[in-house]
Amino acid sequence: MNDGPLIVQSDKTLLLEVDHEQADACRKAIAPFAELERSPEHIHTYRLTPLGLWNARAAGHDAEQVVNVLLTFSRYAVPHALLVDVAETMARYGRLRLDKHPTHGLVLASNDRAVFEEVARSKKVAGMLGERLDDQPGAEGGAVAVHPSQRGNLKQALLKLGWPAEDFAGYVDGEAHAIKLDESDWTLRAYQQEAADSFWHGGSGVVVLPCGAGKTLVGAAAMARAQATTLILVTNTVSARQWKSELVRRTSLTEEEIGEYSGARKEIRPVTIATYQVLTMRRKGVYPHLELLDARDWGLIVYDEVHLLPAPIFRMTADLQARRRIGLTATLVREDGREGDVFSLIGPKRYDAPWKDIESQGWIAPADCVEVRVTLPEGERLAYATADPDERYRLASCTHAKTLVAEQLVKQHAGEPTLVIGQYLDQLDELAEHLDAPVIKGDTTVKERERLYEAFRTGELDLLVVSKVANFSVDLPGAAVAIQVSGSFGSRQEEAQRLGRLLRPKAKGPDGTQKPARFYAIVSRDTVDADFAQNRQRFLAEQGYAYRIVDAADL
Amino acid sequence: MSTSAPRTLADQLRGWSEQQLSALLDARPDLAAPAPHDSSQLAARVVVKASVLRALDGLDTLELTVLQAVVQETDPAALGVPAEAVEQALDRLRTLALVWGSPDRPVLVVREVLRLPDGPPPEEVPGLLERLEPPARTILDHLAETRADGRWSGAAGPTADLVALGLLVHVDERHVRLPWSVRLELDAAAGRRVDAPPEPATSERAQALVDRAAAGAAFELVRRTELLLDRWGTHPPAALKAGGLGVRELRTTAALLHVEPDVAALVIETAAAAGLLDQGMTDDVDAAWLPTDAYDSWLLGSPARRWLVLARAWLASPRLVSAVGGRIGDKPVNALSPDLPRSWLVALRNDVLAELADLPADHALAAGTGVASLTQRLRWRRPRRPLARLDQVAPMLAEAALLGIAGLDAMSSFGRLVVAGEDPTDALERLLPAPVDHILLQADLTAIAPGPLEQELARKLSLVADVESRGGATVYRFAASSVRRAFDAGWSAAEVHDFVASTSRTPVPQSLSYLVDDVSRRFGTLRAGHAESFLRSDDETALTELMHATGAESLRLRRIAPTVVVSDVPLGTLLPRIRELGLAPVVEAVDGTVRVARPDVFRARSRRRTPAGAGARTAAHTAAVVSAIRVGDRSTAGRPTRGASASTPADVIAMLRQAAESREQLVIGYVGNDGTVAERMVTPERVEGGQVTAYDERSDSQRSFSLHRITAVSRPG
Repeated sequence: MNDGPLIVQSDKTLLLEVDHEQADACRKAIAPFAELERSPEHIHTYRLTPLGLWNARAAGHDAEQVVNVLLTFSRYAVPHALLVDVAETMARYGRLRLDKHPTHGLVLASNDRAVFEEVARSKKVAGMLGERLDDQPGAEGGAVAVHPSQRGNLKQALLKLGWPAEDFAGYVDGEAHAIKLDESDWTLRAYQQEAADSFWHGGSGVVVLPCGAGKTLVGAAAMARAQATTLILVTNTVSARQWKSELVRRTSLTEEEIGEYSGARKEIRPVTIATYQVLTMRRKGVYPHLELLDARDWGLIVYDEVHLLPAPIFRMTADLQARRRIGLTATLVREDGREGDVFSLIGPKRYDAPWKDIESQGWIAPADCVEVRVTLPEGERLAYATADPDERYRLASCTHAKTLVAEQLVKQHAGEPTLVIGQYLDQLDELAEHLDAPVIKGDTTVKERERLYEAFRTGELDLLVVSKVANFSVDLPGAAVAIQVSGSFGSRQEEAQRLGRLLRPKAKGPDGTQKPARFYAIVSRDTVDADFAQNRQRFLAEQGYAYRIVDAADL
Repeated sequence: MSTSAPRTLADQLRGWSEQQLSALLDARPDLAAPAPHDSSQLAARVVVKASVLRALDGLDTLELTVLQAVVQETDPAALGVPAEAVEQALDRLRTLALVWGSPDRPVLVVREVLRLPDGPPPEEVPGLLERLEPPARTILDHLAETRADGRWSGAAGPTADLVALGLLVHVDERHVRLPWSVRLELDAAAGRRVDAPPEPATSERAQALVDRAAAGAAFELVRRTELLLDRWGTHPPAALKAGGLGVRELRTTAALLHVEPDVAALVIETAAAAGLLDQGMTDDVDAAWLPTDAYDSWLLGSPARRWLVLARAWLASPRLVSAVGGRIGDKPVNALSPDLPRSWLVALRNDVLAELADLPADHALAAGTGVASLTQRLRWRRPRRPLARLDQVAPMLAEAALLGIAGLDAMSSFGRLVVAGEDPTDALERLLPAPVDHILLQADLTAIAPGPLEQELARKLSLVADVESRGGATVYRFAASSVRRAFDAGWSAAEVHDFVASTSRTPVPQSLSYLVDDVSRRFGTLRAGHAESFLRSDDETALTELMHATGAESLRLRRIAPTVVVSDVPLGTLLPRIRELGLAPVVEAVDGTVRVARPDVFRARSRRRTPAGAGARTAAHTAAVVSAIRVGDRSTAGRPTRGASASTPADVIAMLRQAAESREQLVIGYVGNDGTVAERMVTPERVEGGQVTAYDERSDSQRSFSLHRITAVSRPG
């Protein structure tokens, strides 16, 4: 029996014992092809998926390496069927190629007759293929013409058929535009350079870097390589502004060369930053802003936070296959399970930061999550018990008991920058009044918001009451304490993202240690609120955060 | 061999040593059942067509070719095979009593079955072949390769030319056959070797690696079987009217086991073959597939013991599992269907495994070509078996790999022991993961058992937590519902705390303690009565909550006191509905004690099994038959008319067969059409189908006599 740190399960999950002496080596070895699913304290769970294996294949790993890694580190015998499955899955990538053709434009070709026939006869791709071409050099299995506009759809369809095609058809150069990095007072970190380089050599694809590892700079470096007009797609306006200021600061680009295309402003410049929201806005069944994609001859398209990319953008992206695309994200896992679309439409994973770097970058911020449990007063409990189910969450969330606890916590952390986060406006107003703090809600103007954030950042203010909108603000550095009184934060993935943002590791103290950030969630016991808290607890624990439960009375 | 030439086959057998007789009966076990009275009866059986065909099917290519030469009256030495090999082959043919006497002559039926037309003189054949057109030559080569007859309607074409040249012989209206001399020449030209089987294509592979893979498969098989039967014990799948398991059930099972349906079918079939699964009745008196009571005792064994039961069952099972999911004719084939047994399957499996076991040490079948070469080798070993059966070689190897008898295309060390009928448990035990007695608890409320858990522990743990992922390790997840299940089964909060603390190697996370306490705090807040169907609680608010819950109206609840609610819905209906509403009631018995519920588990009776065919082959049995024959011989020898006449039907037939074999004249008493008995002098030629075909002295012609009209037989003079 091998005494390895890895246990291979029959449902294709890999369990990695963290405290094992070979754990680090094993983690490095499996990272290229397995997706990290959960990372609680003792045993991390990875999953083998066809996409992960194809990503590894695209990065130049072969099945033999993967099998070898599994056999080397596995504690028990690896199920034979799983090894066979790994080899078969990996062999599927690249059997089909998309090539450029001097007369037919784009050609789907293969050296494997059987695979080619299976695909060519499939109903799913029937509409996308043109005439059969015989005797293509280097395509013994057959070749067929493809209309260039179907390049993305075809790749998507082929992935669904289980035969992902490798795209060798190349890219248009786009409209040239001089961009270079201005490294006078900073330098690109080695891994950022590496990420930009491997993206460029791969053509298109996704760069996976942890939060705070400087994804924006990887994007900037990619733009400097492309030397062309660039379209940058980001999640929201605040993020767009942040991109803009970063680009102005770190590159030769000037304010005038960068346009913002959002709900508020519609500028199209050589470098344009657009939000997903404005692109996906629909009016009378059409997307009025879709033409932005064709407004210029873009040479590069940057997708920020690929894992949040909305579905309509995928459809639009399908038509952009001739342009270089770089996706930036902290995780490839999508809540909606559309990882396959990212793979086929944006490209395979081109770069993944080694674990050690992730750790030193504070991927797992030393945050201390505390769940504070309050008991509903008897009167409210009765009201809760007799309420309609859809009213219950609100009742449980907005109890006055929470306001009191929040007050107590704020007092305890007086002097530390603190955010109080809630969902219900009445509750926020009540809290703001109680705590005597400014409140930011949906109807607060962007200007006012920025003023308050700025004040908070500079330390002028040390307490802010914010609604959900704060989730989407990217730059709230310095919050050492967050108190969440209500609100389910969309998807769990999103919550972790925001949490990671909110609780950026602080500057080290004089003794060289970091003071961990505190994240309080106030929860009403024995109500639906507690059930939601369970989900959060599970997710945070899976992400490796410390999680404690205390009673309000014990504070 | 007796030195003087025996007159009849019976005489030869009578002269054989006991070892020779035993060897014959061992090699042709059908002769010994039922035990023959004496040597003449044995001799009569030896030449029966069905038995001879069976013996022929067991010959390898060399033996068959030598026998063919004997039939064609060619000197086997001229076959271009080393004399030693020829002699060995002849020895075996003699042992099987397919040839007898001195010089060797084939028994009649063999001649009839194998005899080929002689064809043109051998020296002319090469010349004839040289002048052939390519299509004609292709036809000949194909017929020589497959050893089959060709079809020919009589139309002109290359076949007609070949017949005209004498290179093919017209055997009946539709068929042509390759004559002997032509076949010999073609074999020589094609370089077909008859003296040694084709070597299997192998590649090097360490036995340790093979064992590891196979042990993994063995462990998986045991685990999957347990998972399957555990599930079917509580959720039995319906049995189809025609017997068998529905396609949808098979798919569900495949999903449960995380495997493809064909693997699931193998697990199911193997469990059934091992007697762990059978048809039975559920409470609703529906026919269903249920684990048998043998399953309960199987569960108590160590993993290696459990595996052994499954492996032995698979080895002895005549069921063609690879056909499941396909179609026979236009009928889809279901798992567990009664149409699956194939009489030839066990023999083929034995051959395949024997070949696999014969591979050189630390070698496995080569990837790609290995299976094909093994098939070629099997074809050499048993050339007369239908070729289509060899299609099963690849699925059979795949099954052996899933069982763990083979791994990575080689025989595992413990698989070798099982096939040899020895006890592999020690060898296997060393390879299987050692059972662990602890779990690792994590803050995300999972518990991971980093290996197979000890049984008692696994049973308890699966009560308080749900299984999330299986394999070498098991991942359990604690949830409110699973902890409540433990409480429902009678556990207290303190017991749950103690259990997790004592089995976990890591500190119990705070979240888990809170979960248990939360559930326990809410557990039993409500108490439901039996006779009156009441709900009572000291917690008035909880009752109010219940009364106002959505869907509570249909429970017909009535609050009779601040702390008591009654209902006229029977408790059995009421209880699950209340649990659906998210509450955790405890049921009280009449005397106020708490009743403990356990899910019902179904079992079928295990069927009594008689080991198939094995008994007839045991050495002890053979010895008994041999001595019975000897006793029979001695007692007939005592009679004055020994071998000279016969009047009982068995003796008559034996004597006729013997005469046919040795071309003797006999006098038979025959009842004619007019009812009178007449004596006739005949020379029997064939005995089959209730008729004797014989040359009749009196009418000087060949005639058929009905066996049942023959009253007596005697030797003339």
